[in-house]
Amino acid sequence: MGLKGIIAIGLCLLAHTVFGQDTCNYSISGKVLDVDTDTPLPFVEVRVKDTQKATITNIDGEFSITGLCSPNNTILCSCVGYCDTTCRAYHEHGKTHNVYLKTKVTELNSVVISAGKNRERGTVSIAQLTLDNKDLDLATTPTLASSLSQIQGVSFTSVGSNVQLPVIHGLYGNRILILNNGMKHGFQNWGSDHAPEIDISSANKITLVKGAAGVRFGPEALGGAIIVENNPLYLNEPFFLNLGAGYQTNGRGFNSSLSLGQGFEKFSYYLGGSWVKIGDRNTPDYVLTNSGKREQSFNTGLRYNWKKIDTKIIYSYVRQNLAVLRSSIASSGSSLVQAINSDKPNFIRPFSYDINQPNQQLEHHFGKAEISYWYTDEARLTLKVAEQINNRQEYDVRRNADLPIIDLSLFTNDVQLEWKHPKWIGLDGLIGVQWFTQNNYNNPGTGTTPFIPNYKTARYSVFITESLTQKKNTYELGVRLDNEYNSVIGRETNQDIFRDEFSFINLTGSVGYVREVSDAVTYRTNIGSSWRTPFMAELYSFGQHGFKSLYGLLRYHTDHEGNLRTNKVVELASSEISPEKGYKWLNEWEYTKEKTTVSITAYLNYIQNFIFSRPVAIIGTIRGPMPVFIFDQADALFAGSDITWRHNLHKRVEGKLGASLLWSKNIKKDESLINQPPFSIDYKLTYRQHTKGIIKGLTFALKPSYTFRQYLAPRAIHPQDIINGTEEIGVDSEIFDFKDAPEGYFLLNASGGFSIGSFQFNLDIQNALNTRYRDYLNEMRYFADELGFNIAFSINYKLNNKLK
Amino acid sequence: MKTETFRMSNVTRIAIILLIGSVAITSCKKEEVPEEENEVEVITDVSLIFTNVADANDRVVAKAKDPDGEGVEELEILDEIELETGKTYTLTFEIFNNLETPGENIGEEILDEDDEHQVFFSFTNDAFTDPSGNGNIDNASDAINYDDTDDNGNPVGLSTTWTTGTNHTHDGEFRVLLKHQPGVKTPSSGSNDGETDFDITFELHIH
Repeated sequence: MGLKGIIAIGLCLLAHTVFGQDTCNYSISGKVLDVDTDTPLPFVEVRVKDTQKATITNIDGEFSITGLCSPNNTILCSCVGYCDTTCRAYHEHGKTHNVYLKTKVTELNSVVISAGKNRERGTVSIAQLTLDNKDLDLATTPTLASSLSQIQGVSFTSVGSNVQLPVIHGLYGNRILILNNGMKHGFQNWGSDHAPEIDISSANKITLVKGAAGVRFGPEALGGAIIVENNPLYLNEPFFLNLGAGYQTNGRGFNSSLSLGQGFEKFSYYLGGSWVKIGDRNTPDYVLTNSGKREQSFNTGLRYNWKKIDTKIIYSYVRQNLAVLRSSIASSGSSLVQAINSDKPNFIRPFSYDINQPNQQLEHHFGKAEISYWYTDEARLTLKVAEQINNRQEYDVRRNADLPIIDLSLFTNDVQLEWKHPKWIGLDGLIGVQWFTQNNYNNPGTGTTPFIPNYKTARYSVFITESLTQKKNTYELGVRLDNEYNSVIGRETNQDIFRDEFSFINLTGSVGYVREVSDAVTYRTNIGSSWRTPFMAELYSFGQHGFKSLYGLLRYHTDHEGNLRTNKVVELASSEISPEKGYKWLNEWEYTKEKTTVSITAYLNYIQNFIFSRPVAIIGTIRGPMPVFIFDQADALFAGSDITWRHNLHKRVEGKLGASLLWSKNIKKDESLINQPPFSIDYKLTYRQHTKGIIKGLTFALKPSYTFRQYLAPRAIHPQDIINGTEEIGVDSEIFDFKDAPEGYFLLNASGGFSIGSFQFNLDIQNALNTRYRDYLNEMRYFADELGFNIAFSINYKLNNKLK
Repeated sequence: MKTETFRMSNVTRIAIILLIGSVAITSCKKEEVPEEENEVEVITDVSLIFTNVADANDRVVAKAKDPDGEGVEELEILDEIELETGKTYTLTFEIFNNLETPGENIGEEILDEDDEHQVFFSFTNDAFTDPSGNGNIDNASDAINYDDTDDNGNPVGLSTTWTTGTNHTHDGEFRVLLKHQPGVKTPSSGSNDGETDFDITFELHIH
């Protein structure tokens, strides 16, 4: 070859083997990309080991080799400037067949593979981002939400340090669909105090879809969707093992995880588990009493591939005990005033690992079976059946603290049949039917009237999504029809029974367009609609919850004098309540050239009948004055932009600038919405060095960020002023908050890592300057500061580990 | 070809089993009425009972009522406290949830957990001769004549003693505050610690 020494053999992730009828009729095709920049690599030599077959990739990095005699092959890719590694080709139906090459200079030598950035059908034209296990490895004990908040346009809303929910473009909770292993995560998704019970340490890849992806994934995806995928169960994968342990100073937390697996010719499996114990966390000045966490998880998967039939069975279990900040419980208006007035929380005790009330004990079982039948090379039928059981017990500080105040079991059942049809007049598409049921059951013995009723939801859906690619243009179209039935039985506080039944039929659609403007520039645009039935908590909440009294849409009405009344349960049919309907227009412009990537996303999201809670009054109760909140509907408009600019400052130094901007308004009444993410800007400087002695893949990153004050926050009215009568508020008053939005703050985070042999070492420093700050999206901002300085380190032993 | 058909039927069979299985799992849980709960959180009625130490039949009762418990209806203060000058009274409480029939006696539960509860008082300055001052809501160490203590020797306040001056008439306010202080109640804990079980202000007349 003459280029000895600089000729490199790339490593490959996925290649596609198409089954042939005769023994020598197999083929492999794929695309070769740079692992760091995703740039297609032309003129790469692709060779099939032990055969004479070889080819060169075209200008788009694509290759195809036919006439192979075996379904499993080892591919050797070689290209100037890229590294020396050999690996095997797995055949994986329906995946993007990407081969990633690592440049020689940034090679970590330990095998790091970026998972193929294949897009789910029906979301090709929607801006989306993937976090792979490389990104997920660095953070030590993150939650799903905090991991995702690395992405521009995503933040998280939280109740303390343990309960965190992702916010996409200002929307959160049940306006974001969370798909765990391809199925909607069935949990108590209401309020900001219920986080998804997903063990992030078992996630191999997390994709964030920023647009209205409702057509493909089902209702509720008004803000977007989060797709969490576990181990993909590749065949022909050597035995791998990953054993990790970590410690964090803030909260004196320990964590450990184990995963192992192996892929054979027809069969593969994985097993994994994790364990987390964290005690009370610290702000720069004091202990956050009762903020610890326990988590145990277990997951396993099996795959059996038999010619055209591919079966997978997955089971996962997560158990959590999450402490909620003791000082967040303010049981009356006067204690709320007191909590808001003081700089420090009311309860500060010495550090402890104990978890006392208030806390949440959660348990989630997830089981799924999937069968795909590839009846031709490019067409398949897939049947997925999933069962989920979610048990939630919430404990409160009360006279009967040993009894849970909320004790719910939620049974979710999801059956989907999908047909990926063969190409037909140029159309690629997926047609599916779905049958989804959910059954919520209040376990008796709480000593209090259930906060949400028992209910049963059944939904039948049909969807079709098609795409057409003509040279540099891709068109995408999707339609979905949902028919949902709900039946509700609950109790009033005097234990009288109330019942209701209602159903909705809804049509949603999505149109998208992708254009490769030039080799470097891609433009994507998508307009999608989605809808959401008001959640039971939004309809039926009644009475005290935390520091406030909260009334659902069907639990209050105004009498003929305009006074707020709560003496009857309104039937949905006789109310003016309609489901939420969202329309989101999302544009993404992406520029990639050599080592520079610029991505700009701009969006407009209009949500009709947007449901939110707002304060309406302070009433006299036996506990003293109590703030009253009601759920209400508005017409909300969101507009915003996310910007990412990645560039190389030096061959070993990469810079990444990110910014997110969001404007929102209730256009029905021309007023600001509450709890919307403020403008934020961050920069990440990464230094990478290849092998130096026995130390390999040394990286160091510094991440300064600045979050501005939320200037669009509604006006603040101090509760004292309402109690004193200085401020008069009523049912029609403008939205307000009890405390001004917190000041802007600067944070500095840093991380580093390297490996020696099979051991990988990671270090993560959060809030390096020990900054005192409060986060506008944390409900605890009324009561306490955010976490102070934290160092987390972890050691991982990795045997043959390409994937987790 | 024959084997191909057999494979298909296997797939179909597995599919059918999965479908039936999932139907069976969901169908066995019908939506049911949530079981009736013995509501122990709500307090609707609080009565203050001042009993003349010298004459058990001489009782002054002042009631407050939250007619709909958790609903938005305003708290009603049904009575004013009308005491007589030159007398000593013992103050006790009746605390009920009357949304249930029969009413639930919450006072008994509080007594059971007296080491987690304390009643605090405030009143217009020097309304009584004993205790003097304005009560212990503003400052926990101020004088109140607690008649009862919990197992740790800390005051509870379900029974207290009040003496009015012989020639000292008074019109003012009287506030009672019951705090729930699990793990917080100590000899030095005050009215700012813990959660409020009730917080009611009455008009006070001493004639």
